[in-house]
Amino acid sequence: MKNNNNPLSPHLQIYSWQISSLLSIAHRIVGVINILAITLICFWTLSLLLGENSYLTTKIFLESFLGKFIVIFLCWTFSFHILNEIRHLIWDLGYGFDLKVSKITGVLALVGSFVFTILFYLIGKNIF
Amino acid sequence: MVQFNLPQNSKIEVGKYYKDITNSKNLKKVNVYRWDPSTGKNPQVDTFEVDMDNCGPKVLDILFKIKNEIDPSLTFRRSCAHGVCGSCAMNIDGVNTLACIKSHTDINGDLNVYPLPHLKVLKDLIGDLTTLYKQYESIKPWLETKQTGEEKTEIKQTQKDREKLDGYYECILCACCSTSCPSYWWNGDKYLGPAVLLQAYRWINDSRDGDKKARLKKVADELKLYRCHTIMNCTNSCPKGLNPAKAIGSIKKMLATS
Repeated sequence: MKNNNNPLSPHLQIYSWQISSLLSIAHRIVGVINILAITLICFWTLSLLLGENSYLTTKIFLESFLGKFIVIFLCWTFSFHILNEIRHLIWDLGYGFDLKVSKITGVLALVGSFVFTILFYLIGKNIF
Repeated sequence: MVQFNLPQNSKIEVGKYYKDITNSKNLKKVNVYRWDPSTGKNPQVDTFEVDMDNCGPKVLDILFKIKNEIDPSLTFRRSCAHGVCGSCAMNIDGVNTLACIKSHTDINGDLNVYPLPHLKVLKDLIGDLTTLYKQYESIKPWLETKQTGEEKTEIKQTQKDREKLDGYYECILCACCSTSCPSYWWNGDKYLGPAVLLQAYRWINDSRDGDKKARLKKVADELKLYRCHTIMNCTNSCPKGLNPAKAIGSIKKMLATS
């Protein structure tokens, strides 16, 4: 049937977000952010290599409000990506497809990522 | 190609407002997607005020009430009205489901009814499923055997082997799952989609079928199968409570272990 001029029914515009679809798109976005973050980590290590002055410049940046925000945000993106990736690995093994189970693991990954972020922060602060 | 926005001719406009004439106190506003191929206009969303005191419990009942009492030109597919045929699949309140088994009491506020997402609209709530049916045909949804048809014995199946089809043979091909899948929206021409892949798994998994290897080989394709990223919109929307995501996962696992 030729109906090239017919309208396309709305999709993203009307479809409600589910926990699963939100986590799925978040996983992708966070993956891209993490790749960019690795570049940042490279700069950080490079500044170590280049000696005290360059390291101090990076240190001042990372200790600023924006720097701290970025570092804590990256703690979250890495935690989330790892936890959700574990979820994907379990799926690849053939488990956890049940609707309820996948919702629970999804929420666990999300909550867990925040817990991990706080843990990283506390470890960084030498609380333990 | 991924296009997030609707094309120019698909932009939705505000349509007519049908005010209640029954003086009922129990009203529900129903927003329905309308497009008439004969007008050449853009699609629009009409709003109907429906008297809920004299209306059945299902969304399909509302649609019938509108068609019978307010606007007879409202067009939608339906047949059995008992959740068996899969004709009245549409997007209700943001999720694909069957209008005949969705209770409108589950929905708070206004009721939004759209056709299945990302399809060419034929009229009002009817989308064009030709591609999906072609894809369904491509997976050969029938038993492939070496029998000639001359044999006088039936092909038997143990109870255990039959149980392997539970959760898959019940699929009614309403297309709720496929049209809920973002991967299928962006790659619908190449990716088979959850409905067809669930069917593919159903035939791969049938102990009576003699073509398992060829079936697996055919479906093992970067675009046909691996565009599934476990978004799980399919399982979330299936009105029969089936699990297409699991079926696709099982095919992937079979391919990885075979």
